Amino acid sequence: MLTVAIDFKSPASYLALEPTLDLVGETGVAVAWLPFSVRPFSVPAAKANETVGERHRRVRAIAQRDTHLHYAAVQGLPMQFSNTLAGSEIALAALAGIEGDPVPFIRAAFSAYWSGQADLDDEAIVAALFSALHLPAPDMQSSRATLASIRARAKESGIFESPSYLIADQLFVGREHLPWIRSLTDRNANI
Amino acid sequence: MKALESSAPLIVYVDIKSPYAFAAVRPTLALETALDMRFDWRPLTLDIPSYLGSARKSKGKLVESTRSASQWERVKYAYRDARRYVERQGYMLKGTEKIWDSSIANIGISWAMQTDRERLGAYFDAVYPPFWRRELDIENIAVVEACLEQAGIDANGFAAFAQGEGRARHDALQAQLHPSGIYGVPTYVFDGTILFGREHLPFVRWHLQGRQGPAPDIAYEIGDAESVAC
Repeated sequence: MLTVAIDFKSPASYLALEPTLDLVGETGVAVAWLPFSVRPFSVPAAKANETVGERHRRVRAIAQRDTHLHYAAVQGLPMQFSNTLAGSEIALAALAGIEGDPVPFIRAAFSAYWSGQADLDDEAIVAALFSALHLPAPDMQSSRATLASIRARAKESGIFESPSYLIADQLFVGREHLPWIRSLTDRNANI
Repeated sequence: MKALESSAPLIVYVDIKSPYAFAAVRPTLALETALDMRFDWRPLTLDIPSYLGSARKSKGKLVESTRSASQWERVKYAYRDARRYVERQGYMLKGTEKIWDSSIANIGISWAMQTDRERLGAYFDAVYPPFWRRELDIENIAVVEACLEQAGIDANGFAAFAQGEGRARHDALQAQLHPSGIYGVPTYVFDGTILFGREHLPFVRWHLQGRQGPAPDIAYEIGDAESVAC
């Protein structure tokens, strides 16, 4: 079983989706998608009297944004960073409450956020995503409770970032680990 | 020396005290060999406390720390992650007991580059594995000289270089890095493109080989690239 923790507002999670689905499709490994909210990505504004640490964080954020854009182009995906940070909690709660295949909703939510700057913390916007997919929206009250318990369990497992992969008692942060994760799915398949 | 400019096809920034740079050196050297190219290896001496807090251990116990719980979570994961990949390469990686000043050992990279470029890989082999086994005091010039000699590089004049011209060049380069958009190691620079992390090696290879076919996504490659000795 491969557990994949994602957050719709995480640019790295967005770029990890299709490569992860490719691996799942090619290996047949069972996958559980875990909603895991992380801090929204932003580039700090430059300050007049920046400390070395503040400058480091600003330069790093700019480089991370540029790298995400670089690989979005490599993957042929639209990607827009907004100056106003949209949330993702309602969509993550909805993901927690979905019964059945969550992938169509995951794709739609990522696309809405990264190409349309949709606020996925807005119930009406999330409901519209389900409607467009002709899927029933889950009960949000129970989904929120499920999201909270998933988060607590994820943190107990050591998850602190999205995307994270848990397989064979190993935690991997980021899609760059997919070659190793693939080797673990192969090994598990051979047992 | 300008931070983003080189006559080489690729600039590689590394730091001896970075576990991620340690994990990257072998596959990057393997790429250099496979493509029969000479990369421009440069030192980037990380100022870790400025962005990740500081900590010091004594006999395995934490005796000093300014790190938040979140910073510790990330630091611990970073070490676990680098360790599993380094171990695949046949090396050992022990967490450091303090944040080292790696500038002398990093100036050793510049010395190797200008003195005996072909022995740079041997210098990395003489420094990285023992440092990460906690067997090397990289703040001691004599220790770094011994590593150069062990690599077959003449260390005569290194001490003066490390305290004079080499130090001045090192410090001048560090001052250019943030304004140039460089903040960590390993960083790969080519044609104005800056990529941080060895996960970009597939893209770097694709670029250096003439951009044939679709561009690859990021990946920590496992297999052949790991197994080529320095």
